[in-house]
Amino acid sequence: MTKKSLCTLFVSALAATFAPTLTAADKDTVKVGVLHSLSGTMAISETSLRDVLMFAFDEINAKGGVLGKKIEPVVVDGASNWPLFAEKAKQLLEVDKVAVTFGCWTSVSRKSVLPVFEKDNGLLFYPVQYEGEEESQNVIYTAEAVNQQAIPAVDYLLADGKKKFYLIGTDYVYPQTTNLVLLEYLLSKGIPIENIGGGLRKDAEGKVISAGKYTPFGHTDYQQIVAEIKQFAASGDACVINTINGDSNVPFFKEFAASGLTAADCPVASLSLSEDEFRSLPTKDLVGHLGCWAYFMSIDSKQNDKFKKDFFAWLETSTVPGIEKANRVTCSPMVLSYDGVYLWKAAVEKAGSFDVDKVRKVLQSGTITFEGPNGLNTVEKNNHTKKNVYIGETKADGQFKIVKEFSQVYPQPWLKGTFGSK
Amino acid sequence: MNSRISKRELGFGLAAALFLLAVIPGLNAFTPETSPFHVSDFSINLWGQYLCLSIVAVSIDLLWGYTGLISLGQMLFFSLGGYALGMHLMLKIGKLGQYKNDLPDFMVFLGYPTLPTHWEPFANFWFSAFAVLWVPAVVAAIFGYLAFRSRIRGVYFSILTQALTYAACLLFFRNELTMGGNNGFTDFKTLLGHQLANPATQRGLYIASALALIIVYALCRWLTLTKFGKVQRAVRDSENRVLFSGYAAANYKLFVFVLAAIISGVAGALYVPQAGIINPSQMEPSKSLEAIVWVAVGGRGTLLGPILGAVGVNALKSWATQAIPAYWPILLGGLFVIVVLFAPKGIVGIAEQIGSLFKRQTKHSKEVSRE
Amino acid sequence: MSTRAFLFTAAISVFLFSTRIFATDDAEKTARQALATAILAPEADQAALVEKLAATPHPALGPTLEGWQREQVFVFTDEDGQRIPFLKVEETSTVRLLRVDNGQPLVNKAGSPISFDPSLKAVETYSKLRRAIKSTTDLLALGDESPSVRQNAVLKLGLKQSPATLPVLEARLENEPDQRVKETIWDSIALVNLNSPNPELKVAALQRLGQSASVPAKDAITRIASDSTQTPETLQAAKVALKSIDKHIFWVDFFGTIFRGVSLGSVLLVVALGLAITFGLMGVINMAHGEIMIVGGYATFVVQCVFGTGLAFAPFGISMNIPGFGFDPASAIYQSYFLVALPIAFLSAAAAGFLLEKSVIQFLYRRPLESLLATWGASLVMQQLFRLTFGPANVPVASPAWITGSFSVEGVLMNYNRVFVIVFAGLIVVGTSLLLSKTPLGLLIRAVMQDRTMAACMGVPTRKVNTLTFAFGSGLAGLAGAFLSQIGNIGPSTGQTYIVDAFMVVVLGGVGNLIGTVISALGIGTLDQILQTTLRNPVIGKVLVLVGIILFLQWKPSGIFSTKSRNLEEGN
Repeated sequence: MTKKSLCTLFVSALAATFAPTLTAADKDTVKVGVLHSLSGTMAISETSLRDVLMFAFDEINAKGGVLGKKIEPVVVDGASNWPLFAEKAKQLLEVDKVAVTFGCWTSVSRKSVLPVFEKDNGLLFYPVQYEGEEESQNVIYTAEAVNQQAIPAVDYLLADGKKKFYLIGTDYVYPQTTNLVLLEYLLSKGIPIENIGGGLRKDAEGKVISAGKYTPFGHTDYQQIVAEIKQFAASGDACVINTINGDSNVPFFKEFAASGLTAADCPVASLSLSEDEFRSLPTKDLVGHLGCWAYFMSIDSKQNDKFKKDFFAWLETSTVPGIEKANRVTCSPMVLSYDGVYLWKAAVEKAGSFDVDKVRKVLQSGTITFEGPNGLNTVEKNNHTKKNVYIGETKADGQFKIVKEFSQVYPQPWLKGTFGSK
Repeated sequence: MNSRISKRELGFGLAAALFLLAVIPGLNAFTPETSPFHVSDFSINLWGQYLCLSIVAVSIDLLWGYTGLISLGQMLFFSLGGYALGMHLMLKIGKLGQYKNDLPDFMVFLGYPTLPTHWEPFANFWFSAFAVLWVPAVVAAIFGYLAFRSRIRGVYFSILTQALTYAACLLFFRNELTMGGNNGFTDFKTLLGHQLANPATQRGLYIASALALIIVYALCRWLTLTKFGKVQRAVRDSENRVLFSGYAAANYKLFVFVLAAIISGVAGALYVPQAGIINPSQMEPSKSLEAIVWVAVGGRGTLLGPILGAVGVNALKSWATQAIPAYWPILLGGLFVIVVLFAPKGIVGIAEQIGSLFKRQTKHSKEVSRE
Repeated sequence: MSTRAFLFTAAISVFLFSTRIFATDDAEKTARQALATAILAPEADQAALVEKLAATPHPALGPTLEGWQREQVFVFTDEDGQRIPFLKVEETSTVRLLRVDNGQPLVNKAGSPISFDPSLKAVETYSKLRRAIKSTTDLLALGDESPSVRQNAVLKLGLKQSPATLPVLEARLENEPDQRVKETIWDSIALVNLNSPNPELKVAALQRLGQSASVPAKDAITRIASDSTQTPETLQAAKVALKSIDKHIFWVDFFGTIFRGVSLGSVLLVVALGLAITFGLMGVINMAHGEIMIVGGYATFVVQCVFGTGLAFAPFGISMNIPGFGFDPASAIYQSYFLVALPIAFLSAAAAGFLLEKSVIQFLYRRPLESLLATWGASLVMQQLFRLTFGPANVPVASPAWITGSFSVEGVLMNYNRVFVIVFAGLIVVGTSLLLSKTPLGLLIRAVMQDRTMAACMGVPTRKVNTLTFAFGSGLAGLAGAFLSQIGNIGPSTGQTYIVDAFMVVVLGGVGNLIGTVISALGIGTLDQILQTTLRNPVIGKVLVLVGIILFLQWKPSGIFSTKSRNLEEGN
């Protein structure tokens, strides 16, 4: 039989993988990790972040790099597979020995790589709105914390005279935690508990511990829920806080529009829908509904105009394999990724070193700022960034019309239990 | 398959076992990092994971290759084993988590005041280790009993196993199940008092995985030699004849199904501390299908094939998702179609097939023209 | 609020007259000019100006105000630099541009009409302004021709629960010809009276609202019921009213759930029907069924683009461009794109099925388990091909106007697209069963289904029949994909979402029996919706349905209906 040859094959395969990967480290470059899903379900969102990071690196390299060294990106694919994220993070930190990593989108991917970053003392910049309740020494959160997104959105709706809030989301940690915080916040603002829709979860003693309606990922049938919202909104002054993730928004909004509910009667404030997602949504059904982010493509500023112009020009000539060139937009996670690169650069230059401990110390000093397309960003002592927050109304062309700006909101990752509900 | 083990096979087996158990960990522990023979901590960890996946592949082969049952939900049992140990690991984090609280982090932020009762016994390692065995076994026994009793077979059985894992996946995604929802379990710190971040612990886990693989392999190899193994294969080839010969085919199938579930559970339990995370996406139907690809590519009905398939396909995946991410699914899917169509016995069977290719082809064309 | 009081007196003055004869041309002119001024005003002042318009609500303003909300109002700058706001009115084949200030077509100095400049940006609106516009149009709506619009407007006034609205409502009541609108006016008056200091009026109002089981009033009544400062009579009346409303809500939910269950069942039926055909014939579950379905979805998308502005895409990095007819999105011909898309979706999915059968499945008829695996491999390849052709994101498919919207029967809401799918599913089932029972091809298909070997012996070209049947089943899947584009996503991995459900329908329904598939689809759909309503939780319902199916198969292992066979290998 061929067992012998198979064995040799097996052994040589083993040897090949086990052989140390000795890449000649160029003295004039600094390795920087990019850890996003370029395949699988999350690729739709995360590929854009890879693109904007590559753009930022090219932009910095064209101006001489960081501390005289050119950035050498090491791009790895997490493939929407959470154990793989941890594996790739290990590879970046232990094999490639990158100075910093930009990456992750979902909370679970961040949670999965966190132990690796803490063990190997790496530095991760995380750019996507998240649930807070976390403050790792090895992560800089350029993302919106709950008080930089959900709370301003609710404030806006309260000021708008809304009295009934229906909470709906996909069943994962971001909506769950956000709604928990919102429940406390709304109660503290005097909204009676029966005016909070979606369902309440109680503990054994009957104390309300969570609120909201949750659907699984990729849920497609929203008939029942929309019927419930319709009843909920029948008495007027109602609104919906929507933390449904990605795909499921299409059936939700189609059902919502078909049932005769409109943005004027019952606006939906969506916390997970940005311009990038609108590319694949029939925006006709969304006109007038709200979004809340630290950046909108429609921000009218010099920095934003330049960013958009340069990014689109870069896309035209980009040689990154498989990059999408047509119909591109910019959105908050992209810009916060981009800001992260410049914040890191500023910190490295101030520290005069790529050493993680030194860079972190500088970052936490509260003096590292970057005037980005979204306005001024400052890294605060709690590893989160202070930045502007905007409320926008969706327009038919998939852009937002900015209706309200909250200037320089201080990040508060630990919100739960801080409102002292009545 | 030979009915007894030849000396040559025994020799090769022992050599492979020695290589996996002693040589690789030894190279990792005792050679300096600069040496060309050094095996890095990263590789040890990665190979530990591959070996766990190989164990699942063997369990699938036991079902498919030897008993003719395609379970599209084998990763469910893998995950259950993983969750059982994961619960223990979560409780051992103690105050080292984000909240510096004895409760697992996710319970703190979901507002649970105290540890749910069903979590409590998992603080004991041995209880968890035992749960790794019985939880998958009980689920498999209930499902298997119902399915085999009413003689559900063929594609029906496959589809139902898929529904089972899909339902479990939906259930585990729910945060209300107190299993961490979509995030699952992560941020493990210690196992039996050893720091998981410590390379020596990872090496130990690697050795445990290798040992488990060798034991599972030996067990399955032994099973094929027994009368039980013969009945098993007879069920695969013609269940009705087995029935008419007076064997309770359903019981045989149930036993194999439960055994395979336990094996997968063990693999999951070993995998979780090495991968550092367990979450419901492991139960998605596509994950189980992917595991079937390993077996198909390696060669079913050969025991060695699944191991080669699991390692080979995963290594290929590691490479392809890096080098040609856009074409990886096409490669995987295409590979699968080609293997099923032209090489039903996978890599292991290919050499054999090359020899008899000509004969087979003429036979095959006859078959088609007869249709 | 003094402005509001003013507003209502103004409104009354209008409504005391007839509904239609509004005012003289002068009033129209003033109103129009005021609106034009508001449009041209700086953003900060617009809302206030529009609110003022409400003082003299003129029906002529309706279309413009609505157009403003829908971003159909633009500003034209003429040769002299004068800015003229105009409304873009899209009709079936033409686009008319009407000046806001006088309602006349927009013309240039020479008097010839000006064509629309697509680079113009619509005059923007924002939430506060839209609310102002809304309250003005709400008042206008009181005099609208359509009873349902009037009904809505009346209810909104009532929900304000402001005594100032009473005169308007009463005035409206006198002129109202429609009985249902009258009822709503009575409800609205009762709603306002809930806040009345007079306890008798209050009790009467509660009785009225209880009788009419008014759902919108529920919140207000609940507030009264839980307010211990009310008189005992009021509390009692509130309790009775709430009970009657809750009873009404129960029945609305009940029938609503049945309707939603049937509609979900129809979606499942449409999705699973193609699978049932191929499964029934070959005993093979085609794991690529979801992807074939999505071929139909993408076909719909392409047709939509061709009717519009065309489609640019880059499969494998090669730029391609499909030119479009450039029909106006509001035109009837564009709206009918979906009807054209249906046959194209059928044909393209059938072609994909044909290819799949020829390249993979035909080699595996004797190995059904392995064909399940091979088709899964094929599904992975297809998903990636979609991704490379149309991009990783979902493609937006807009629903034509004639299947958006809803109507309600006794409070049970029915969406047109849901009604459409029920009818659609019915037609497909009838069509398929006619094809199977009345045509020569159907005869051959049934022959092969019942006994392949015997059919072959009788001279039935079984291979050809296989291919044709598979293509037909795939075509049905394509129709399902076209339909799904109207209620959900079309994207590379959409097929996966429906596949397990489709399997369940087919396995539960039993092989080779359309009735079984119909019953199982409707059963699963209804059960799912009932569980969702009672458990108030979409996931547990789904899990229970799956578990239920596994248990059901204990009782009937080969589904609700199955072809009887004495062959031990076939009989399950």
